[in-house]
Amino acid sequence: MKSESWTHTKWVALALAAALPLAAIAGEKKPEAIYDEMQVFSDVLALVQNNYVEDVNTADLIDNALNGALNSLDPHSSYVAPVQFTEQRKAVRREYGGLGIEIQSEGGLVKVNHAIEEGPAYGAGIRGGDLITAVDGVDIRGKTLEDAVSGMRGLKGEPVTVTVLSPGKTSRDVVVVRDTVRGRAIRHRVEQGVGYIQIETFNNDKLTDDTKRALADLNEQLGKLDKLIIDLRGNRGGLLTESVSISGLFLDGGEVLSARGRDASDNERYNAEAGELYPDTKIVILMSAGSASAAEIVAGALQDRGRGIVLGRRSFGKGSVQSVIPLGAEDGALRLTTQRYYTPSGQSIQGRGIMPDLLVSTLEDKGEIRKRFREDSLRNFLSNPDDSDYEEKYEDILFPDENFPEGEDFQLRKAVEVLKTSQYERILKAQDDRF
Amino acid sequence: MKIVLPALGSVAAIALFAFSTTNQSAVAVERPAYDETFEQLELFADVLARVRSQYVVEVDDSALIEDAMNGMLQSLDPHSSYINAAAFREMRLDTKGEYGGLGMEVTMEDGFVKVISPIDDTPAKRAGILAGDFITEIEGKSLIGATLNEAVGQMRGKPGEPINITIIREGEDPLYIDIIREVIKRQTVKHEIKDGVGYIRIAQFNEKAANGLKDSIAALQQENGGKLPGLVLDLRGNPGGLLTQSVEVSSVFLNGGEVVSTRGRRSDDVNIYNAEKGQMAKDVPLIVLVDGASASASEIVAGAMQDKGRGLIVGMTTFGKGSVQDVIPLRGGRDGALKITTQRYYTPNGRSIQSSGITPDITISAIPDDGEERKRFSEASLPNAIENENEDQDDFEETTDETDVVEVKIDYPPEDFEISDDYQLQQAIALLKSGTYAEKLAEARG
Repeated sequence: MKSESWTHTKWVALALAAALPLAAIAGEKKPEAIYDEMQVFSDVLALVQNNYVEDVNTADLIDNALNGALNSLDPHSSYVAPVQFTEQRKAVRREYGGLGIEIQSEGGLVKVNHAIEEGPAYGAGIRGGDLITAVDGVDIRGKTLEDAVSGMRGLKGEPVTVTVLSPGKTSRDVVVVRDTVRGRAIRHRVEQGVGYIQIETFNNDKLTDDTKRALADLNEQLGKLDKLIIDLRGNRGGLLTESVSISGLFLDGGEVLSARGRDASDNERYNAEAGELYPDTKIVILMSAGSASAAEIVAGALQDRGRGIVLGRRSFGKGSVQSVIPLGAEDGALRLTTQRYYTPSGQSIQGRGIMPDLLVSTLEDKGEIRKRFREDSLRNFLSNPDDSDYEEKYEDILFPDENFPEGEDFQLRKAVEVLKTSQYERILKAQDDRF
Repeated sequence: MKIVLPALGSVAAIALFAFSTTNQSAVAVERPAYDETFEQLELFADVLARVRSQYVVEVDDSALIEDAMNGMLQSLDPHSSYINAAAFREMRLDTKGEYGGLGMEVTMEDGFVKVISPIDDTPAKRAGILAGDFITEIEGKSLIGATLNEAVGQMRGKPGEPINITIIREGEDPLYIDIIREVIKRQTVKHEIKDGVGYIRIAQFNEKAANGLKDSIAALQQENGGKLPGLVLDLRGNPGGLLTQSVEVSSVFLNGGEVVSTRGRRSDDVNIYNAEKGQMAKDVPLIVLVDGASASASEIVAGAMQDKGRGLIVGMTTFGKGSVQDVIPLRGGRDGALKITTQRYYTPNGRSIQSSGITPDITISAIPDDGEERKRFSEASLPNAIENENEDQDDFEETTDETDVVEVKIDYPPEDFEISDDYQLQQAIALLKSGTYAEKLAEARG
């Protein structure tokens, strides 16, 4: 069963719940302890049912109890009630309906991670980095992402009013007409004589094919694609399978990543396909604090295998795998963190992210290290088994000097410079010594 | 033991409330024999079993269950929660002054820790922390997702130890504030003669409140040659406390009669609390000062004085915490305790103040009119606050019709008024000395 193909969200199709789950628990150690605690819980439930100032709904109480327990484990584990569960299935199939934006929750606020250019939100002036504070007049600050998304979803052609707060501006209401959006995940161009591809998301099952086409086009434009920049900045991840096959384009077989659970029997290994497309191409991967999950897998694999160098800032650190475990027809599902990702050299990505070979800042950082929102900013994040120091050190970071032109991309310029000089070989050599 | 806690009751830095557990037998654990309950418990146990066997690292069962109970209880209302065995022991031992804190009352709103009120003469107050501020970080670590107890636990520490907290205030950049923890000793009742008028401030309704008030009145009378020409009872920022204390405090001004009644879900679950006879402060003109942070027991006193026509209520609309919590020990406290909302309370005229609060007879602002309508942070703004069942939804919507809106006249201090000069108190004293008190009281009584 473990060898089944799976996506970023793994579907563990377990048989129906055992008839007597308590007995199952009791079979493990400390049976009396868990019975005691179940006893406390059912006492409390009964007291609430009998004494609360108003009538209570038992199913709602249990819903909230489950989420209380699961959210305390880590920020990605949760209970998915029956209605939501159907919604989430849709999301996994990526039936992109709505506004054409990817959102994330940041400090209780809903932030636009990326607005797809072809989407209606982009057309209405919404951009990555904007905050959405209300949907149809309903304040969504502090709400869960699911609540925010459900307000934005709706029938194609129907308008929705979102209240948008752009950095440095006053908030405004924007009317967006919902549309079906198929996100294009990749863009490419020739940048100062160097091939450049930007992968915005791994949430697209055509991504590897599109990337192959983009590379072929660059190869044709340049005569020979001998220098390549893969821009994964702000890429929040997506399908695990795509991260493996994208890595496989640049590797000749071998491990891309492993996912490991509590027991060694839960370990899974993912390998690159044999046959490398452009074996002699020098590769620089651009990364930011917002690069997460599948993006970190690609960066980690190419870095560990000495196939490219990573430039930018320490990545997000989302290196855990959630299994969605259906709980039976009427009971919804359990979304539970069951594994951590490891790069080929055996480093866990969780909480620490990928440390670039060359730490390069952006102009917007204004010469400061600036605290970024990462996995380890979340209060109860799942820790990394390795607890050695992993913070970026100020003196290691390259900052643009005062004269660097406004509006230019310092990290990109640095990447081109590295590819065009002997720095590339030097850094690759240093990387070799590290692993 | 009835407690009428402020928003969520957990109080940073100080153990505010004494709990007695003598009446635990009153609430026996009955188990409704509903199939649904059994099924739901099965679901719960099923999930627990899967977490135990499949979660990426080993889990602590009791922590898991505790978080489950808090998830469940906090979904009911902001005041219900589970108190674990250790915290409950601490509560019962009343370990006052054993640890250092910052001196503020906090609650949880939308997953954020929010300040209800900083306490007088504490590090928090001196550091300029205001009611309504959000505390988002402690020592640079985010509090997002933390439970209130965790946040409070982190704010406590050894007296003299510094702590850095990040404050978010609407419309301002984050403030990073260094505060030195102190042992928070709170003087419950303070008194002084101000401009020839008696002034008494009750900071909270702990077990010392009523006796402190009586002592203060006696002291003021003595200082003033045996007479009190008028009294300002300051309940601003007072988050409440013990229900019995609010009844005793009201008794100082009332000669018997109902102070408050509490009603639960069942129609026979009604308790009426009457004032004692005696009325120590008979005939003393009384102004009760309140504001948006005056909650629960404070609102009981203000509501009783207002309904009985015993004093003028001056200041801003109160918080609107009109529910009563019971603390129910589980297995004699060995399993901790359950704090659960069991009743609403009502003023003598039968008004529920839940969400709506007490509207002052004379509305006076502490701060100058900045042209902006000040948002009131109140019970109604807490997530999943219990509604006021007096409010018919339809009627409520009708009043949004412009013609029906009653404009509340607010007396603002002049623009250049120094806030620390306390405009509300100045106006209250002026009113008591102006000779128009009786007239205003008659007006307020309608």
